[in-house]
Amino acid sequence: MTAIKHALQRDIFTPNDERLLSIVNVCKAGKKKKNCFLCATVTTERPVQVKVVKVKKSDKGDFYKRQMAWELRDLTEVDARDANKDNPEFDLHFEKVYRWVASSTAEKNSFISCIWKLNQRYLRKKLEFVNVSPQLLEESVPSGESQSVAGGDEDVLDDYQELNTREEQDIESMMEVCEYAISNAEGFAEKLSRELQVLDGANIQSIMASEKQVNLLMQLLDHALSEVDNIEGKLLSYEEMLQSVKEQMDQISQSNRLIQISKTNNDKLLDEIQFLVNYMDLSKGHIKALQEGDLSSPKGIEACINASEALSQCMNVALKPGHDKLLAVKQQQRLFTELKDTFARRLTNHLNNVFVYQFNHFSHFKMTIPQFYRSSCLSLPGHDQSNTLAQHTADLTLPKHSPLHRDLLRYAKLMEWLKNTQRDKYEGLSRTYVDYMTRLYEREIKDFFEVAKIKMAGSSKDVKGKFGLHGSSGKLTGSTSSLNKLAVTSSNSKRSQSSSLLDMGNMSASDLDVADRTRFDKIFEQVLSELEPLCLAEQDFISKFFKLQQHSTPAQGENVDDADGIVHSRPPSEHRISISEKDMVRLMMNKIFQSIEMELNSLIALGDKVDSFNSLYMLVKISHHVLTAENVDPASYLSTTLGNVLVTVKRNFDKCISGQIRQMEEVKISKKSKVGILQFVTGFEEFAKLAEAIFRNAERRGDLDKAYIKLIRAVFNNVEKVANESQKTPRDVVMMENFHHIFSTLSSLKISCLETERKDAKQKYTEHLQSYVINSLGQPLEKLNHFFEGVEARVAQGVREEEVSYQLAFNKQELRKVIKEYPGKEVKKGLDNLYKKVDKHLCDEENLLQVVWHSMQDEFIRQYKHFEGLINRCYPGSGITMEFTIQDMLEYFSSIAQSH
Amino acid sequence: MAANKNKNQSSLVLHKVIMVGSGGVGKSALTLQFMYDEFVEDYEPTKADSYRKKVVLDGEEVQIDILDTAGQEDYAAIRDNYFRSGEGFLLVFSITESESFSATSDFREQILRVKAEEDKVPLLVVGNKSDLEDRRQVSADEARAKADEWSVQYVETSAKTRANVDKVFFDLMREVRAKKMSETKEKNGKKSGNKKKSLKERCVLL
Ligand SMILES: Nc1nc2c(ncn2[C@@H]2O[C@H](COP(=O)(O)OP(=O)(O)O)[C@@H](O)[C@H]2O)c(=O)[nH]1
Ligand SMILES: [Mg+2]
Repeated sequence: MTAIKHALQRDIFTPNDERLLSIVNVCKAGKKKKNCFLCATVTTERPVQVKVVKVKKSDKGDFYKRQMAWELRDLTEVDARDANKDNPEFDLHFEKVYRWVASSTAEKNSFISCIWKLNQRYLRKKLEFVNVSPQLLEESVPSGESQSVAGGDEDVLDDYQELNTREEQDIESMMEVCEYAISNAEGFAEKLSRELQVLDGANIQSIMASEKQVNLLMQLLDHALSEVDNIEGKLLSYEEMLQSVKEQMDQISQSNRLIQISKTNNDKLLDEIQFLVNYMDLSKGHIKALQEGDLSSPKGIEACINASEALSQCMNVALKPGHDKLLAVKQQQRLFTELKDTFARRLTNHLNNVFVYQFNHFSHFKMTIPQFYRSSCLSLPGHDQSNTLAQHTADLTLPKHSPLHRDLLRYAKLMEWLKNTQRDKYEGLSRTYVDYMTRLYEREIKDFFEVAKIKMAGSSKDVKGKFGLHGSSGKLTGSTSSLNKLAVTSSNSKRSQSSSLLDMGNMSASDLDVADRTRFDKIFEQVLSELEPLCLAEQDFISKFFKLQQHSTPAQGENVDDADGIVHSRPPSEHRISISEKDMVRLMMNKIFQSIEMELNSLIALGDKVDSFNSLYMLVKISHHVLTAENVDPASYLSTTLGNVLVTVKRNFDKCISGQIRQMEEVKISKKSKVGILQFVTGFEEFAKLAEAIFRNAERRGDLDKAYIKLIRAVFNNVEKVANESQKTPRDVVMMENFHHIFSTLSSLKISCLETERKDAKQKYTEHLQSYVINSLGQPLEKLNHFFEGVEARVAQGVREEEVSYQLAFNKQELRKVIKEYPGKEVKKGLDNLYKKVDKHLCDEENLLQVVWHSMQDEFIRQYKHFEGLINRCYPGSGITMEFTIQDMLEYFSSIAQSH
Repeated sequence: MAANKNKNQSSLVLHKVIMVGSGGVGKSALTLQFMYDEFVEDYEPTKADSYRKKVVLDGEEVQIDILDTAGQEDYAAIRDNYFRSGEGFLLVFSITESESFSATSDFREQILRVKAEEDKVPLLVVGNKSDLEDRRQVSADEARAKADEWSVQYVETSAKTRANVDKVFFDLMREVRAKKMSETKEKNGKKSGNKKKSLKERCVLL
C-alpha cells in the first residue's frame, strides 16, 4: 500500500503540486475489479484546496491515471454504511452519490478519518458522517493524518525511508524463499528463531573445540623460549672473542702510524737538506769571481754579474723558521755575507776608480775625441792646449760622454745588485758619481758658454764698436781674458766673408743689427741644441746605470733600450710606483747640471744686454725647445730647466716691450727742429718687422700679439702727446705724418690683431690732413676769409642774403675795401709763403708735401668759388668781383710749381 | 739706435714715381698691389696719397716714393706741382675704356710741359686691367703704336692678378736711375744735395 501511495505521490501529485494524504483502494459497488484508488490530497500552495481524486491503475503495465477529482467542499455526506461491523463499503455524496467498496475496512476507516481531519483543518463545513464510528472522528488520535492502520507497518509519512534496491531484493529473495511469509508471518518468524537456535549451538561447539588447540600453542611457545636463551648464551661468547681481536688490531694500527710518521719525517729532513744544499750552495767559480774576479774586462764583468746573481739567489732563499738555527746554514750565511761585503767593497772601489779616471781624463783633455778615451790607459798623445782651444772656439760644441756611458753601462747589472744588497754603498757610489760629474760638467758647460758668449759679444763688439753702440759688450770680452784673442778674431774673419766687414759700406746699421741678431739667433740655437742631447743622454744614462727606471714589463723594456736611448714616458698606471725613482733621477740631474740653468740665464742676460730685441729670438727658440723636450718627456730635467728659463726669457721679452714703452714716454722733442716721424714710430715699425720675421710659424704668437697691442696703444698715445706739446711743428702735421707712417707700416705688415688700429691710423691721418689744410688756408686770404665768415654768420642768424649789404659792417664799401686788399700780386705772395711754410713743416721721409699741396689747391679753389657765390647772392648787381680770377690763381699755382 | 737708422734710411737712393691717368683706371689698385700685395675690389676715389717702400733694384737697395693721385682734378694746373716733383711716371689707362686711353695724350703733354727743361722724362704707358680681356676696348697694337710714337715702353698690367705690376715699377725705376746716372756724368762732379748727403754717410760707414 505504501509503495503504491509513494508511486502515486511521485507520478501524479507532485507534478501537480499536490500532496497525497490518504489513499484507499476501491472499486465501484457492484464491480469486482479493484483497480481504482481514491486519494485525499491538498495543494502545496495556498490557499489550500482539498480534493478527492480518483486514480485508476491501467490494465496493462504499472502506471496510474488520474480519472476524476472532486473538491472536498462539494462533499456533503460520508456514509460508512455500518459503524460496527466489518464492512468495506462506503458512500461519498458529491453532486451525486458515489458508492465504493474498499479493499479492507481498515483502509476505509483510515480514509474516512482522514477526510474528517481535512475538513476539520481546512474547511470546517458541515459535513455529515453517517454510520461512522465516533472513534474515527477524533482529533486526539495520535498523529492524525498518519495514524497507523492495521498492525502499524506504515511509517509516519514524513519519516518514511524507501528501501533501497538491494534491500528490496534481499527482502524479496528472502520472501521468495519463504513463499508463505506474507501469508504466514508467524510461521516465518518461528522458522527464523528455529534456525537461530541451530546456529547458536554450532557456535558453542566450535568454541569448545579450539581450547585444545590453544594448549598446543602454549607448549610450542615454551619450547621456543628455551631455544632463545640458548642462542643468547652463544652470542655472548662470540662478542667476547671479537673484543679481544679488536684490541689486537688497535695495537697494530698504532704501531703502523708510528712507522708512517718516522718515514715522513725522514722524507722531510731529506727535502730540507736537499733544499739547503741546492739553494745555499755557491759554486767555487762564483766564489772566486766574487772574491777576485776581474772587474775591468768584459769577461770578468760577465762572470761577476753571474756570480752576484747567484749570490743574491742564495742569500734570498726563503728559509723556513728554524733553518737559521742550523749551524751549517749559519756558516753558509756568514760566508755569503762575507762574500757580499767583499764583492760590494771591491765593486765600489772599482767603480770609484773608474769615475775618478774618467773625470781626470775628461777634465784634462776636454776636447779629446772618443778614441782617446777608448785607449783605456793613461798615456795620451801630446795635444797642445792652444790647438784644442782654437778648435773649441771654432765650433760651439759640448764634448759627448757616450763612450763613458757605454763603458759604465756594462756595470749596470752589478749596480742593480749593489742597489738591492748594499743600499748604502750604492748611494755612496751615486753620490760620488754625481760629485765627479758635477765638476766635470760644470767645467765643460762653463767653457761652452764662455765660447758662446765670446761669439755673441765678439760679433757685436767688432762691428758695433765703430758706431760706439752697445758699450756694454766691451766689458764682456774682459771676462774671457783667459782665452786666446786670436781665436776670436780668426773666427770672425771666417764669418766676414758672408756678412759684415767687407761689404759693410753698403749696409745700414739696421742691416748690421739684423746680421747680428741672426748670428745671435744661430748661436743661441746651437747652445740649446747642444745642451739638449747632452742632458737627455745623461738622464738616460743615470736612469739606466743607477737602475732608476720604472720597473717595466719586458714589453716596455724594449722602449727603454730604444735606438735613441731616450726614456719614453710611460702609461700613467706605472707613474705612481716610479715617482720616487723619478725624483731620484731629477735630484741627480739637478746636481750634475746645476750650472746649466745659471749659465743659460747669464747667457740670456748677456743676449738681452747686447740687444734687447734678442729676447724675441730667445722666446721663440726656448719655447720651441721646451715643447720638443716636453714631447720627449715632460718630467725630464731638461724640460723643467728649459721651463724655468723660459720664464726668465718671457720676463725679458716683457721687459723689452715695457722698455720700449718707457722710451716712448720719455721721448723729448727738440723745440727748434721739426718733429717729423717720431723715433718711436719707426722704432715700432722696426720691432714689428723683426718680430714678424722671428715669430713666423712660432708657438708664442699670442705673446707677441699681446705685446703689439700694448705697444701700439703706447705709440698712439705718445704721438698724440708729442703732437700736443709740439711747438715748432703744428699739431696736425705731427699727427698727420706719424699716423700716415703707422698706417703704412700696419698695411705692409698686415698684423691681423692690429687691423682696427690700422683703420684708426688712416682715419686720424685723413682727419688731420683735412684740418691742417683748412687751418692753413685761412692765412693767405685772412681778411677776406674773416669778412665772409661774418657774412655767413649774419645769414645764419636769419638775415636775408640780399639784405646783408645793408648791414653797416658788411656793406658794399666794406666789401670793396677788403677785396682791394687782395690784388693778384698779394694773393700770389700769400700762396708762395704758404707753400714755403708747408714745405718747412713737413718732413722729407713721409713725402706728404705733394699730397698736402694738392689738397690745398683744391681747397683754395673751392673757397674762391664759395666767396664768389656769396658775393653774387648777397651783393647782387653790385658788379663787385674779386681782384683775381680762377685763371690767375691757376697761373700762380703753375708758377709756384715751376719755381721749386 | 733709431736716430741712427733714420739717417741711414734717408741715405738710400730715392726714386720718385707718379701715378698718372684718368679716374678709375687702377692707379691706386696698382700702387696697393705693388706696396702691400693686395687687391682692393671697391673703388674709392683718391685725392692723393704718398707711399714709400724699400726695394732691391738690381742688387741695390733703394727707396721708391709713389705719389698716387686722382687724375680727376677740375683744373689741370693743380697737377703741375706734383708732376714737377716726379722723376718717373706711370701713365696708366684702362684697356676697357678708350676714353682713358685718349686721355693719356693730354697727361703726357702736361708732364712734358711741366718738365720742359728735361730732355727726356722717364715714363711708361701702362694698359691696366689686362685680366678683363673680354671687355677690351683698346687694342694692344693701338697702344703700342702710340707708345712707339712717344718712344716709350708699353706694358699691359693687371692689378688684380698682379701681372706685370712689379715690372712696370722696376722698369720705370731703372729708367729713372739711368737718367740720373747720365746726368751725374754730364754734370761731372756737380752733385745734388741728396747725393752729397749719402756720400757723407758712406764715409762715416767706412
Ligand atoms: N678687374 C680689374 N679691376 C681693376 C684693376 N685695377 C683696378 N681695378 C678696379 O677698378 C676700380 C678703380 O680702381 P682704382 O685703383 O681705384 O682706380 P684709380 O682711380 O685709378 O685709382 C676699382 O674697383 C678696382 O677694383 C685690374 O687690373 N683688373
Ligand atoms: Mg685712386
